[in-house]
Amino acid sequence: MANARPNTFPFRGLAKGLKVTLKTLFKRPVTVHYPLEKEVPVPRARGVIALDTEACTVCMLCARECPDWCIYIEGHKEMMPPAKEGGRARARATLDRFDIDYALCMYCGICVEVCPFDALFWSPDHEYSEYGIDGMLHDMDRLTDWLATVPEPPPLEA
Amino acid sequence: MTQLDPRVAMHLSDAAVSVELETPDMTLNIGPQHPSTHGVLRLVARVDGERVEAVEPVIGYMHRGYEKLAEVRTYAQTIALVNRIDWVSGFANEIPFVIAVEKLMDVEAPERAQYIRMILTEMARISSHLIFMSSYPLELGAATPLMHAFRERERILELIEGVTGGRFHPNFNRVGGVKPAAGGGSATKKLIQDLPAGFLQQARDAMDKVLTVCDDLDDLVTGNEVFQARTIGVGVVPRDKALEYGLSGPNLRASGVGFDLRKAEHILPYDGIDFEIPTGENGDCFDRYIVRLAEIRQAARIIQQAVDRIPSGPLQAKVPRVLKVPPGQAYVRAENPKGEMGYYIVSEGGRVPYRVKIRSASFSNLSILPWILENQLIPDLVAIMGSLDFVLGDVDR
Repeated sequence: MANARPNTFPFRGLAKGLKVTLKTLFKRPVTVHYPLEKEVPVPRARGVIALDTEACTVCMLCARECPDWCIYIEGHKEMMPPAKEGGRARARATLDRFDIDYALCMYCGICVEVCPFDALFWSPDHEYSEYGIDGMLHDMDRLTDWLATVPEPPPLEA
Repeated sequence: MTQLDPRVAMHLSDAAVSVELETPDMTLNIGPQHPSTHGVLRLVARVDGERVEAVEPVIGYMHRGYEKLAEVRTYAQTIALVNRIDWVSGFANEIPFVIAVEKLMDVEAPERAQYIRMILTEMARISSHLIFMSSYPLELGAATPLMHAFRERERILELIEGVTGGRFHPNFNRVGGVKPAAGGGSATKKLIQDLPAGFLQQARDAMDKVLTVCDDLDDLVTGNEVFQARTIGVGVVPRDKALEYGLSGPNLRASGVGFDLRKAEHILPYDGIDFEIPTGENGDCFDRYIVRLAEIRQAARIIQQAVDRIPSGPLQAKVPRVLKVPPGQAYVRAENPKGEMGYYIVSEGGRVPYRVKIRSASFSNLSILPWILENQLIPDLVAIMGSLDFVLGDVDR
């Protein structure tokens, strides 16, 4: 099939390629050496979910809305002493177990979004790879530890 | 004993040789993999020497059953699924789905949300086409364009991540707008997830860089004589065949049909934006490449105009907290980077869809393979398959 486009001069492509090589040879690379240098992820990056056990009321909304059902929650009611003298003792839900299986998690963020009491937060931290799949199940303590890595939400565009 | 090829038989009678030649066809299994690892595909090719006589694509290796999964998941959960269909343009996959649900619920997203959707869809288009710009020359033996294209693609993905929190799977669209708040709780309720500060300026800068890298690619790839020799006149899809096989997107436009759902359907505010629909003439591999390169430029143009025009206002329409979609059915299609992506949703009321049918672009684009690969050479097979730019996740769902 005859081509309507102008044929190029022989070896022009090669010369152009070599020109690019020369140009980039003296430029700084855009990549970073990962374990030695690290890029700072954006504050909204969905890296790992942190749990605030104080805020959690064991309402199970997150576990119910999770598309992968990777959140395991167990809790019990604890009787708290009355707030006022002679008042009634109040029941307060307490967490026994709050596990997220990151081997199943698809990082959609629905649990964080549906939490009505602000107990779950996204943290951009992502360096928690494990040798075994069982290590991906983060228990309550580990999830609480992530809380320290939760950044301030970024300022918004006016 | 195979049938003698009539062409061979003709020569045999000329030479008056009485031996019966056996020329058995070889069945060549290509795969199960894609030469550029966009997923897993198997091609069963019947080859005669270097010539491909017939090809049968065997699909289904990436089947994840999303249509069935959607039947047992709420609408909000399905949004997280659909951006995994065509994983190189996750954001663009969500658009037709949420708009189909919005149509059923009779709500409309506020204008600012629609602009954010449009900007991020075009960014997804650029990132998807930049993958093509890097993988396609790579399949033909040029490694340098990959470095240039991926550098800019990383910039785009970082912008998408800055807004949505996810590079590949944004999960940012919600019925009636975009993702409201990080936690819906009382403390952060006011913290609407609007664009982060500086995003619009960063988008402008990124578009300048994208346009520069388009020129670089033009310089490196388009004019390259090896690239031209491998692509011009190879894998020609005439206009009528393209329509017959239901091609869509850049593959259809390369065959000279200027059909683009961004202009044909009014689901995002493309009306006020000035952009062109690039079309090809010959429908060969080179045209499919040129059309995609031109589309990156047009997408950059759209974003440049959209960031200047983005109105302020709310991001969410009033939608009940527990989404219950009234009974009915809706089909909404939108222009995915690969072509027409549509969702047909049947609702019987309640929180989960009764049925979701996904019309994905790559599936239809791949259906032309047996026709287009007939009587081609094996080295051209890779060039043709790469030029169709399908993602196997989009084929198998």
